[in-house]
Amino acid sequence: MAETLLAARSVSRRFGRVIALEPIDLELRSGEAVALVGPNGAGKSTLMSILAGALKASEGQIAVTGSAKVGWLPQRPAHYGRLTALENLVLFARLEQMGDPKQEAARMLERFSLPSDRLSTYLSIGNRQRLSLAIALLGNPNVLLLDEPTASLDPKQRALLWSEAQRHIAGGGAVLFSSQNPEEVERHATRVVALDSGRLVFGGSPEEYTLWEREP
Amino acid sequence: MRTLRDAALITHKDLVSLRRAPLVVILLALYPLLIAGLVGTVAGYANARPRIAVVDLDHIPAKTTVADHTYQIKNLINEVAKNVRVSWMSKAQAAQALRTGEVVGVITIPPGFINDLKSVSNSPQVEFETSQGGISSRVTQQMQALVYSLNRKLQEAYLKDAIGYISIIRNGGTADFFGSDFKVLGIEKARALLAAEKNNPRATKVIRFLDTAEGALRASEVSARAVAQPIRLATATRSGRGWLLSAQMQAYALALTVSILALALGAAVTASERDENVACLLGRGLISRFSLLAAKIALATIISLAVGTVILLAFGAIVEIAGIAGGQPWQRIPLVLLGVTLFGAALGAIGTLIGALAREGRSATLGALLVALPIVLLGLIPREIAPPAGFVSDIFPFSHGERFFSSALYDLHPWATVGPEALWMLGLLVLWGAVARLAQPRLTES
Repeated sequence: MAETLLAARSVSRRFGRVIALEPIDLELRSGEAVALVGPNGAGKSTLMSILAGALKASEGQIAVTGSAKVGWLPQRPAHYGRLTALENLVLFARLEQMGDPKQEAARMLERFSLPSDRLSTYLSIGNRQRLSLAIALLGNPNVLLLDEPTASLDPKQRALLWSEAQRHIAGGGAVLFSSQNPEEVERHATRVVALDSGRLVFGGSPEEYTLWEREP
Repeated sequence: MRTLRDAALITHKDLVSLRRAPLVVILLALYPLLIAGLVGTVAGYANARPRIAVVDLDHIPAKTTVADHTYQIKNLINEVAKNVRVSWMSKAQAAQALRTGEVVGVITIPPGFINDLKSVSNSPQVEFETSQGGISSRVTQQMQALVYSLNRKLQEAYLKDAIGYISIIRNGGTADFFGSDFKVLGIEKARALLAAEKNNPRATKVIRFLDTAEGALRASEVSARAVAQPIRLATATRSGRGWLLSAQMQAYALALTVSILALALGAAVTASERDENVACLLGRGLISRFSLLAAKIALATIISLAVGTVILLAFGAIVEIAGIAGGQPWQRIPLVLLGVTLFGAALGAIGTLIGALAREGRSATLGALLVALPIVLLGLIPREIAPPAGFVSDIFPFSHGERFFSSALYDLHPWATVGPEALWMLGLLVLWGAVARLAQPRLTES
């Protein structure tokens, strides 16, 4: 059985009186791609943020196994607009305590075919999303959390992003991605978790999910 | 160590970002300077002449003759009213103007004023009403000064008249008294006539009397001149700093500029982490919240120091080029910059708090400006006038910074002021820094 890299145990979140996420258990294992699905406001981004460590859970806990490291691609591109792609990567590599931040940044720049001299604010949406993904991959995480990663990408950019995700999984990592696109879920997920109004309503294979979805 | 390194990385990033937005930096530096200049100018004109209404119920004629002297009373009033602007109005107009604040006081010249003036036996009276404004006591003092000046003008004429009579009695000549001309021999000529009668003991007695009378009249003339001005004020204007280049103005300009700058910058760069959606990335353990807070305070401090240095150098250059007395105390600049560091840091902490609480950058900047103005204005209210304002102002850095700068620049022995104010600013940095730290989760977790 594949190693569990990241686990959420009875994790819930409230914003004041509003319950955004009811207690949920979720495990991410090495080599799997888990799709997190559900309508807008279902609690997908809240769960991702908690798993990424950006948001504190109101209850429950997150367990990161051994040397597992988590990379996170937020729903909206996250980088500094007044820095170039290279400067962004160098800065985040330094904050990640990487050995040679400049070399690592240059490697990422080449891997994601990003222009080095343009301010990030002037990059296309696709390039900005790729830059955010490159930042998420700094520090070589083995768990990758992708929050609606292809929402604003054209087909070519989507293919590039999924090839990166597949490469990550093939290297023994795990991917949790949220999506509103059934085709993407069917094609790339090894497991599906569905949320609705902050509650876990389904957990199973993509095939089972397809059947579950067709039920009246 | 890592905390400092991470803070330095974020501060460096913010400096690079600011360098790439020169318009923002220029606006951030110029806007507070403009406000400082405007506040300074307004403060400089705080002693501007208030407007007074004068109501003439006695229908004063163009010329009035009193004790053989002709006065133009209206002109005299306009002439002596140097510290106020006089507007002649009807009684109803003046009452309305006082109610609406168009004028701050009304002088009424009652019926019978000129008759009393001519009678010499009754002192004529004018009535003065003032509103209950903040400057009413100052206006009352100016009215007292106006009546005093008017009295002096009339008194001088009376005395000139009297001294003229004394002179005619002493030297002889023609005098006009109540419309009739008189020829007066005069003591001098009378003494000369009697001199021929040396051997006449009666003439000798009269001459002795004339000598005594002349001595007494000479003394009376001197006394009369002295009574006209028992104490005279000699005024001299010396070269020195005008208001715009005064120590106070320099301290205000520095404090005001750094206040707005540090607050707005602290708030904007903190909120920008959220605007760029990076706050959530940093908040997941990439950098400690303390490092993030320290980075933003450090940025506000660095920019405050840079702008503060420019202001001090610019003031100094103007003072030196203009050759103004006193010069710029260059040796005190390091001490002032120490104050600017503490001042900018304390305000940067408040700015960081605003940036963490605001939803996005524009709200943060607007919030910072909304907070900056009351802080500054509270600090400008003299503690003696409104003690509660002074107490509230104490929990903000403005008044402490302003006192620090003013003392550091020009007090002969500044330490008694500079020491406590530096401690105040340090304390406020810790206080507002702690509050801003408590607000950090709102920034990184939203």
